[in-house]
Amino acid sequence: MSGALRAVEPPTLPAPAAAVQTLASSRPESLWADAWKRLRRNRAAVISAAFLAWIVFTAIFAPWLPGMQDPTLQDLKLGAVPPSLAHWFGTDELGRDTFARVVYGGRISLMVGVVATLVSLIVGVSWGAVAGYRGGKTDELMMRFVDILYSLPYIFLVILLLVFFSRSILMLFVALGLVQWLTMARIVRGQVLSLKQQTFVEAARALGAGDAAVIFRHIVPNTLGPVIVYTTLTVPAIILQEAFLSFLGLGVQPPDASWGTLVSDGARVLALFPWLVVFPGLALSLTLFCFNFLGDGLRDALDPQDRRDVL
Amino acid sequence: MSLLAFIARRVLLIIPTLWVIATLTFFLIHAAPGGPFQAERDIPAAAKEQLMRQYGLDQPLVRQYGRFLANAVRLDFGPSYKYPSRQVREIIFEALPVSAELGGWALLLAVLVGVPIGVIAAVKQNSRADYAAMGLALAGVSVPNFVLGPVLVLGLSLTLYLLPPALWQGPESRILPVLTLSTAYIAYIARLTRGGMLEVLRQDYIRTARAKGLGESVVVAKHALRLGILPVVSYIGPAAARIMMGSIVVESIFSVPGLGRYLVNAAFNRDYTLVLGEVLFYASFLMGLNLVIDIAYTRLDPRVELA
Amino acid sequence: MRDGRRSRLPVRLLCSAAVRHLAQVPRRNGFRHPRLRPLAAALLVALALGACAPGEDGVVRTSASGPRWFGATSLPPGDVFRFSLGAEPETYDPGLAVGQPDGRVARILFEGLTREDPQTLEPLPGQAYRWELSDQGRTYTFHLRPGIQWSDGRPVTAGDFRWSWLRVLRPETASRYASFLSPVVNAEAFNKGDVKDDRQVGLEAPDDSTFVVHLASPVPYFLYLCQFYTCLPVPRWTIEKYGNRWTLPGTIVTNGAFTLTYWRQNNRFEFAKNPRYWDAASVRLGRMVGYTLDDLNTTFNLYKAGVIDWCPSGYFPSAFIPYMRGYGDYSHGDFQGVYFYSISVTHPPMNNVWVRRALNHAVDRDAIANQLLKGSRRPWGNLVPTGYPGYLNPPGIRFDPGYARQCLAKAGYPGGQGFPKISILINTSEDHRRIAEAIQAMWKRELGIAVAIQNEEWGSYLQTLTSLHYDVARRSWLGDYLDPNTFLACYVTGDGNNRSGWSDSRYDAMIRDAAKELDPARRLAILQQAEALLLSEGPVVPIYHYSTNELIKPYVRGIYHTALDIHPLTRVWIDHDWQKRAAPVAVAPGGPGTETR
Repeated sequence: MSGALRAVEPPTLPAPAAAVQTLASSRPESLWADAWKRLRRNRAAVISAAFLAWIVFTAIFAPWLPGMQDPTLQDLKLGAVPPSLAHWFGTDELGRDTFARVVYGGRISLMVGVVATLVSLIVGVSWGAVAGYRGGKTDELMMRFVDILYSLPYIFLVILLLVFFSRSILMLFVALGLVQWLTMARIVRGQVLSLKQQTFVEAARALGAGDAAVIFRHIVPNTLGPVIVYTTLTVPAIILQEAFLSFLGLGVQPPDASWGTLVSDGARVLALFPWLVVFPGLALSLTLFCFNFLGDGLRDALDPQDRRDVL
Repeated sequence: MSLLAFIARRVLLIIPTLWVIATLTFFLIHAAPGGPFQAERDIPAAAKEQLMRQYGLDQPLVRQYGRFLANAVRLDFGPSYKYPSRQVREIIFEALPVSAELGGWALLLAVLVGVPIGVIAAVKQNSRADYAAMGLALAGVSVPNFVLGPVLVLGLSLTLYLLPPALWQGPESRILPVLTLSTAYIAYIARLTRGGMLEVLRQDYIRTARAKGLGESVVVAKHALRLGILPVVSYIGPAAARIMMGSIVVESIFSVPGLGRYLVNAAFNRDYTLVLGEVLFYASFLMGLNLVIDIAYTRLDPRVELA
Repeated sequence: MRDGRRSRLPVRLLCSAAVRHLAQVPRRNGFRHPRLRPLAAALLVALALGACAPGEDGVVRTSASGPRWFGATSLPPGDVFRFSLGAEPETYDPGLAVGQPDGRVARILFEGLTREDPQTLEPLPGQAYRWELSDQGRTYTFHLRPGIQWSDGRPVTAGDFRWSWLRVLRPETASRYASFLSPVVNAEAFNKGDVKDDRQVGLEAPDDSTFVVHLASPVPYFLYLCQFYTCLPVPRWTIEKYGNRWTLPGTIVTNGAFTLTYWRQNNRFEFAKNPRYWDAASVRLGRMVGYTLDDLNTTFNLYKAGVIDWCPSGYFPSAFIPYMRGYGDYSHGDFQGVYFYSISVTHPPMNNVWVRRALNHAVDRDAIANQLLKGSRRPWGNLVPTGYPGYLNPPGIRFDPGYARQCLAKAGYPGGQGFPKISILINTSEDHRRIAEAIQAMWKRELGIAVAIQNEEWGSYLQTLTSLHYDVARRSWLGDYLDPNTFLACYVTGDGNNRSGWSDSRYDAMIRDAAKELDPARRLAILQQAEALLLSEGPVVPIYHYSTNELIKPYVRGIYHTALDIHPLTRVWIDHDWQKRAAPVAVAPGGPGTETR
């Protein structure tokens, strides 16, 4: 690509498209092996990955961990008490154990982050790949649609989605994912545009592969690098957005609680019961922090030629 | 393509986009359950009918749509349903300067802090300085601003009494909201700068410059930075549009009379005219700024052509 | 805030580091601290102090034994009174005003025939200096005070009152509170458009200073009704000239103690003393600033920092209430409002009266009010609040899990078996959510039934409530006037505020009979029976009695607790010598009004 700035493609995709380069289809094994080597050298990324693994483990196995209390068990008489041996992270105003709430909140937050990211991944990758591969009028139309959604205020879209469909956690996944897929679609489209000229695609076509097969079997796998990087950065972004929705009261519904709801509730009583914001806040922030570090590390590792940021 | 032709083409594309957005928003908000004239305390049926008639809400939706479009072309969205003494236009133009000022300062701070952090991190890639700089920046994006805001208020306003805890009065009232709003942007910008710089620093011309014996700081400052911050430039367009259209969190924590609160509350209150006005304004603002940024891009990077 | 004219706070007793910092407040030219420390240090201190309840830090004592005051107590510059108005008023046009903030602004700017006593709310002479009752309580004749003027110098006439009241009644005005005037002859018919000629409405202005009101039948609380802000007079000529925009500063003309000098939406109202007000001599404030603050924490912070002098009831987070009790700022009292759950009786299983009784008796009101809300509210098992002169509540619903389980068994769901999952509808708010979570747990524990919480944002919540597509919904009701009728009339069949689908002909008949009953004692006895019936059959799960909880700086005088949380501000003043006076401010708090959100 000449590095032309496509006029129809304003918002995020910053990049001088020079940026979007082929992530090498030639020697995939060595590419991944190299990347792995580079990643291991990045200490911050390795530590982040280890921490995340621990958090995920705790979240998944929460109900079976020894000494875990029931996060919904109330004790109105007890009320909010500071951390103690009985309640490591203290209790909230309904007398519920904050430690258990934080651990279970992690389940919800991580689930929201991962599932909504998957939604955005599936929609975004398919949309971007089809648009990029088909090109021409189809591309123009599909990307226009992305532009339109992109120009709507994000929060307005989410409110509408949550207003129209009943408020379930499922809807929250969809709402967050559907808003997040736009950037993904743009990234994938950029990749596909350059990939489809390549000989291996021509070859596949010559061998009689259908469009769908070419797109999903040959092209999409080759966009994996940037997609993986972007995905790692989308998970924390979505967790944070769920927290933001919780601040507006639109997050997950009780008795479920995410880190976002815990933190936004806690922030309101910061001066009274600081432990209600400190512990869930630490869990949330450390997790986001590690995801971001890992994402940056992955980008350095996977994509040494191309520093274009995918944010 | 000449600059003028480029601008003309883009503007021509913006118009149909705005139309689709207007249409979409109109039908979506009208389809949302509830309406603007609901209250905890019941409104007598007669009064409600009268209000519907006054605002033309009793007419068929298509007719309302037509009238809305005709007025929107003249930038006239009519009075807000929720605040009947005010025109939507007035509300937007009263709140916009506030949000724009808040956002402008925050973005400026983000650039002033984020770019140096990113440059340092790139120049010393994978060193302790890199980790420390990026760690600091990423901490900013990892703490939700509805936590950061109250913590700053508790410390600086309510304990030390250094700064006012809220309200938009006087220069010192700007500090806390700007700080709160900018942290996330500092992180993004630092990361973008780092990425851009890393790419540029590997380029041949930088090697040449180094080979010529130029000091590293000169190389970085004079040669690399110009291209290295290109990703930041392209990010700033949409970021500026978004940040200047207001942040509901920062505006409500600090009671800033900006646009962000109106958007969310208007959607909750089904204030149809205010929602439509805000959304359309937002979209045009966003697209307009992007156009400006694209033009700026060509000035910074001669490799980029207008297409 | 920045004019820095405020006097310095005499620093008498400072013990902790936090208090030392507080002492800097008076040097208030913009919160500038002489030794600006590094941010990190500041944050550390903040976090460390964050761990104390507000009871610990930010305390200033005026004397070793006197009350403690919360946060800054430096005086405002001059005779300025600054307070929170709560959410942005939708309109402060008296005829159209709806919410509590709307009414608060309208009452500052306009004065009616009578005005409220700041403590008892009884009608005192206002624009009318005397009135007579004749025709067996059906005709009120008001005599306007001679020489009263609008702020533009025009005289206030009886014609202005007649025009203003007719405006409220005109169908095209679409006033939401037109029903306040429905006791007036033909008012309702005129409002519905059945009577077109305004001369048939029982409002007369035989001359400029006499205003005569004819009622269809005697209404014992009519003077309270026409004290409501809907009945305030408005300037006809500006409304005719400017339409909807007549209320903007610059065009607005008022007849109350203050005029509007500045308004910025989502920021503040500024009021200045109206020199043409008849009683201007006793208005001691030169200026008032009402900030529109919708975030409760922000309001609380501004109060602590001394930016506002009065935080009306319901405008600071309820979690803080228990910790404010030790301060002289805090005032607390009953308020005519009840927080309850409404049951939509239109569908099974909620159409079964035994199910409703089971739910009702399984709510531990005491735990909610005293433990969860730390005694900031009163547990309440009735629909009608306390404090109506002469009215005795029937016995309230009590927490009785055993009886609740029997009821559920009678309904056909022993031990909760076979009971479908129901949900509690709330509008988005942390306070509502905590209570719903507590009740969810109680119903599960006592009745063994599964309950979901359905949280909707305001617009959808109202729609769901009105369309009865809910099982149980959070509601609250605040009294408009001092009579139980303001609560009980809501549950008449088909009333717009019923919102439960409940209908009982016996109940309707009782409310009708009461309205016709001339003997006050007998009337209240009928209403008491009606409430008893409603509680035993009806769709209401009362939870707590509202209280007012407000914060008032020690130097503010003249704000009192009232049963309706209405605060006439005309006589408020700033006591610049407050520290020399022992006089505690006799205040009790205000209430929610907007807390309905």
